[in-house]
Amino acid sequence: MKKEIIRRSPVAFNMRPVKEERRGHWVVALEYENEGDGPHLVDLSHCIRWDLQDSDPNGDRGKWKPLGIPVPEQPGGCIIKNGVMINRMNNTQAAIWHLSGEEAEMPPETAYTDVTDATAFLALTGEKTFAIAEKLTALDLSDLDGTPPFLIQGPFVHVPCQIVVMANGAEQPGILLTCSRGYAHDMVAAILEAGKAFNLRPAGEAAFKRWLEQLK
Amino acid sequence: MSFIITCPICGPRNAYEFGFGGEDKGPRPDEEALSPGDWCDYVHMNQCVAGVAREWWIHRSGCGVWFTTSRDTTRNLEVQVETMEKGPNPPLEKE
Amino acid sequence: MNRINPLETFRIRPSQKVSIRYGRKSYQGVAGDTIATLLYANGVRIFSRSLKYHRPRGLYSLDGECSNTMMQVNDMPNVRVENTPARDGMEVVAQNVAGKTADIDPMAFMDNLSFAMPAGFYYRTLHKPAKIWPLAIKNIRKAAGLGVMNPDFRMPGHFDEIYPTTDVCVIGGGPAGMTAALSAAEHGLRVILLENRPWLGGVFDYRPTAYEGDIPLYRRAWELAEKVETTPNIRSFTHTAVVGNYNDHLVTAFQRGDKTDPFDERYIEIRARSLVIATGCIERPLLFENNDRPGIMQVGCAHRLARTWGLLPGKRAVFSIGDDLGLEAAVDLADLGLEIACVADTRQDGQDESLTDALAQRDIPFYRGWMATEAHGGKRLKGVILGPVTGIRRQTFDCNLLVASAGQTPLTSLLSMRQVKLRYDHHTGFFLPDNPPDGIHPAGRMLGLQDSVEIEISGRLAGMAAAADCGINMDKEIETIKTRMDAFPGPVRGAKVVSAAVKGKKTFICFDEDTTLKNVDQAMAYGFDVPELIKRFTSAGTGPGQGGIPGHNLPLYVAQTQQSPDTEPRPTTVRAPLVPTLLATYAGSQHDMSKRTALHDSQEATGGKMERIGVWNRIRRFSEDVNARAEINNVRSNVGMLDASTLGKFRIHGPDALKALQRVYVSNMEKMIDGKIKYSAMCNEDGCIIDDGVVVKRGDNDYYFTTSTGRAGQTVEWIRFHTRYDGWNFNLVNLTDAYGVINLAGPNARKVLEKITAADVSNGAFPYIGYREFMIADSIPARAMRLGFVGELSYEFHVPASYMQALWDILEEAGQEFGVQNFGLEAQSTLRLEKGHLIIGSESEQRTTLHDVGLGFLWNRKPSAKTVGAVALEDTEKQKGRLKLVGIKMADAALPTPRDGSIIVDTKIRGYVCTARFSDTLNEPVGMVLVEDELSKIDTQFNIYEDDCNGRLITAKVADMPFYDPDGKRMKM
Repeated sequence: MKKEIIRRSPVAFNMRPVKEERRGHWVVALEYENEGDGPHLVDLSHCIRWDLQDSDPNGDRGKWKPLGIPVPEQPGGCIIKNGVMINRMNNTQAAIWHLSGEEAEMPPETAYTDVTDATAFLALTGEKTFAIAEKLTALDLSDLDGTPPFLIQGPFVHVPCQIVVMANGAEQPGILLTCSRGYAHDMVAAILEAGKAFNLRPAGEAAFKRWLEQLK
Repeated sequence: MSFIITCPICGPRNAYEFGFGGEDKGPRPDEEALSPGDWCDYVHMNQCVAGVAREWWIHRSGCGVWFTTSRDTTRNLEVQVETMEKGPNPPLEKE
Repeated sequence: MNRINPLETFRIRPSQKVSIRYGRKSYQGVAGDTIATLLYANGVRIFSRSLKYHRPRGLYSLDGECSNTMMQVNDMPNVRVENTPARDGMEVVAQNVAGKTADIDPMAFMDNLSFAMPAGFYYRTLHKPAKIWPLAIKNIRKAAGLGVMNPDFRMPGHFDEIYPTTDVCVIGGGPAGMTAALSAAEHGLRVILLENRPWLGGVFDYRPTAYEGDIPLYRRAWELAEKVETTPNIRSFTHTAVVGNYNDHLVTAFQRGDKTDPFDERYIEIRARSLVIATGCIERPLLFENNDRPGIMQVGCAHRLARTWGLLPGKRAVFSIGDDLGLEAAVDLADLGLEIACVADTRQDGQDESLTDALAQRDIPFYRGWMATEAHGGKRLKGVILGPVTGIRRQTFDCNLLVASAGQTPLTSLLSMRQVKLRYDHHTGFFLPDNPPDGIHPAGRMLGLQDSVEIEISGRLAGMAAAADCGINMDKEIETIKTRMDAFPGPVRGAKVVSAAVKGKKTFICFDEDTTLKNVDQAMAYGFDVPELIKRFTSAGTGPGQGGIPGHNLPLYVAQTQQSPDTEPRPTTVRAPLVPTLLATYAGSQHDMSKRTALHDSQEATGGKMERIGVWNRIRRFSEDVNARAEINNVRSNVGMLDASTLGKFRIHGPDALKALQRVYVSNMEKMIDGKIKYSAMCNEDGCIIDDGVVVKRGDNDYYFTTSTGRAGQTVEWIRFHTRYDGWNFNLVNLTDAYGVINLAGPNARKVLEKITAADVSNGAFPYIGYREFMIADSIPARAMRLGFVGELSYEFHVPASYMQALWDILEEAGQEFGVQNFGLEAQSTLRLEKGHLIIGSESEQRTTLHDVGLGFLWNRKPSAKTVGAVALEDTEKQKGRLKLVGIKMADAALPTPRDGSIIVDTKIRGYVCTARFSDTLNEPVGMVLVEDELSKIDTQFNIYEDDCNGRLITAKVADMPFYDPDGKRMKM
């Protein structure tokens, strides 16, 4: 076959990126025009995501160490190491998100399922993150008792989502969220509309990585 | 549905995140020698107490776990919360 | 009207002009004016005409608690102009009058006919004979009512919504609410403060009376407001009406945006851990003859007109009041230049002596134990008759302003909404909460407090109690502040007099519904003894103001008038919304969330007609032809492509995966062959079929299965529910969105496939009912199934959704030479009908069992698996009288095709048509019907009735299925 085979994200912003990069079969948008200082909405749907399910992901205290990272013991717990996030969803399930955007080989055990294409993966970052989010969900994302990063599973724009609050301080708060892939179009439209009053702009992966970097 | 239900995984949440699974009637009866009438009673008959009922709920918009909790049906409030030790997603023993 | 000299309390900016149109004229006001104050400043006194009697009505409370100032603004009816800020260019029109202003109303004669309309007049009179009712309705509706909704009216503006969570929610931004918010916030808690008016301050806001020392109350209010606004963990929402208070402290409200806000209104839904309710009081209306005349207003209304908007409310005034706030207002308004003829106070004693002294110093006559009994005048107040509360002396005073109030009454609606029992307190004359439930803390004036400092302290106490609810140890502080409270006078004695001794023919207890005291008396004479019933019979309090103005007096009047001496006043029930709320506000941003497949855009671009089916958007057809004949013919003769991505797709794995499958599928799932698909169905507990799909085994304890589109969302939940007591170890992954599905169907399908994969896809290597995994174009991992839903050679490719568009493009290119074309749901539906394949939900309904649709062969008795529905299937398998699914053709092929849903009749209704289409392939109509078992034998004839068949029934006969290719040769090609 001569034709180039491209994997497509379910998210399409209403503009062309000014910088993009070919990564495997993906074309990743690195930067959009007039991104501004935030808040930003970033499409991370190309980032590889795995589902890990087993009777006890902590098995024998640490049997499951995807890529050498131990699965958090409590549901809601998150861990980030080497550009990979693992968040614990319930007693038997954890999600593994490759925030680096790099390709990775899934471990061979049957407990893993590649769910990259099951969801749309978005980052909402910047000072007004929670002002935008409270228009779209009743979930208490800015819960001051929670120590980021933590996972909340619940409705965001009426759709069940997996949301990781990465930072909830006054400085540069931000959340990651996944929703069923089919909802990507309506989800992005709803978030952008809610963020209009706060100057929310689509941004590329580079902006997300800068933001991630300053969290440390 | 304004009240709060406590999910054993996610903690207290708006009731509209949850789906109702009926009264807690215990496991399915054995099918041997089970009369259609008894089966029908198990499936369709309920206590409908005006007071505290033990019920199944699912955290439908959240983590998806089925669990039981108690609700005062006269006030439509969850009345006590206990963490499920056994349930659909129990921390199973390794064989 | 000229404004008085600027005061510190002004909320207007006189240098900035605002201009609106009312009727045919332009009126000018200043920035900060409401529509009502702007019109009042220009001499407008009549703001509306009443519902039934078309009586002129004017400013009364200024907080929007009745319909007096409802006008049409910019084509929107029923806008309360007294709490709507005036904006340049607004078009204001009066309602319920023939003209554009409320000054002249040709229907005003209705007022003289009121004697003919006693309470319950319509219910009691206009039902005999029955045919009079429609006529009466038509004319009553013309003569009575409020605003008129234009059906073409489209709501302009931007409507927003927010759903904040907080620790403490304080309702009421007066002194008690502000101190409560501040004290709760001291402990780092998140606090939300809600205030109905556009600014914080409440009862302190406009009053110059001294707080502690020399600072006036309004400055104290500024101080508190500034503290609130600069405390980072307090969010205050002003111009925000609370509409509901529900279980576990869910508070709903809406905020009106000002010019700088990005919304016109926004819905606010707050979840709090603790509530402080400091809603304060409104004034209890004083009841006397003609108490509704323009020029009669409440104390706060008169006082705030002057202090907040710089408008002296009249020229010569009489006061008939029942509490110290009334006296205070009289003194202050006199100092601001209002001529006051006299002040009557229903109380014999108990007044603040410094206030009565102040009246004396200003030579204002003061009458203890006196009140207004009747007002004179029509469109304008001309005078008032005063007299002692008990006694027959009467004295007339000329005036154009009557400031009338019986005293205070607390706003307890938010408590009653939470089922708090309210008890009538004889000391304050208030309905007070007996035992507020956990987490709800009333504070401030609503408890009967009057002392400014005491009001604040009660707020602080409530704030502390709320903090304690949030887990902060406040025991010591609460004890200290309680001791401090004890030093204060506590709740003050309230005036008990509500009504003058009048016959009440024109004494209005409810302005909105034109309900008079006489109407209430009539209702009681008919035997209605409980306020709830009297409310409904007289419709008092059922208008736009709800409990606002009339809700407070009806129970008291009834209790005082009832014969039974032990009757305690009982408040009427309050329900949400407490304040009328725009539907647009409830609708908010209207996020209608639906799903799109990976091919959505490209399919739409090729002319696909999108349709919403459940949560998904799907293509019905690709041309204007509603029967999609070209698409059908192409599948039968060449090859077609269908986007079937919406199918439910799941992985189940783990040691107990098979047990779980056995529980929900009716077949024996142990019998699975590698590389082969197993078709099966799921039933509910009643044996009724709810889903069908295929299962493949991909490894040890590792299965991939599909469900119908409609069941995809519930499948994980269903399997987990039916295994909830078993403690089995299996894992489910919902892959519905992860995989896209393309169905490549038609006699040329293999030719297309061979071009794009290196795998051996010959009929021998990949036969019918086979399952294979291979790469397409060396890059796309595909799970391929050979199925025959549409009755032709076909392949279903399941590929990761991100590859879907690439695969589609490849298939389209490869298939060009073989005539490949899109097909949609309509074509699929006809194709599978010709083949006799059913769609659950289309050929089944809630009562349809597995056996009814002819899928009984799938069932395998395996009692140890406790399969869902098995017990019922055992019982219903041989049951007589069930509706069975059969195929039909017309008795004569030339007869028309019946529509889906048409009714099958014999001597009675015996079934209905599930799906019927004219089949081009077979050149005759075919269909599937659910029909009583007696009629289900081949060649049985029956008649089909349709809505507009004009008595001409279509005769059909039961026919063998499948209609097309009965041997299935084409699928197995």
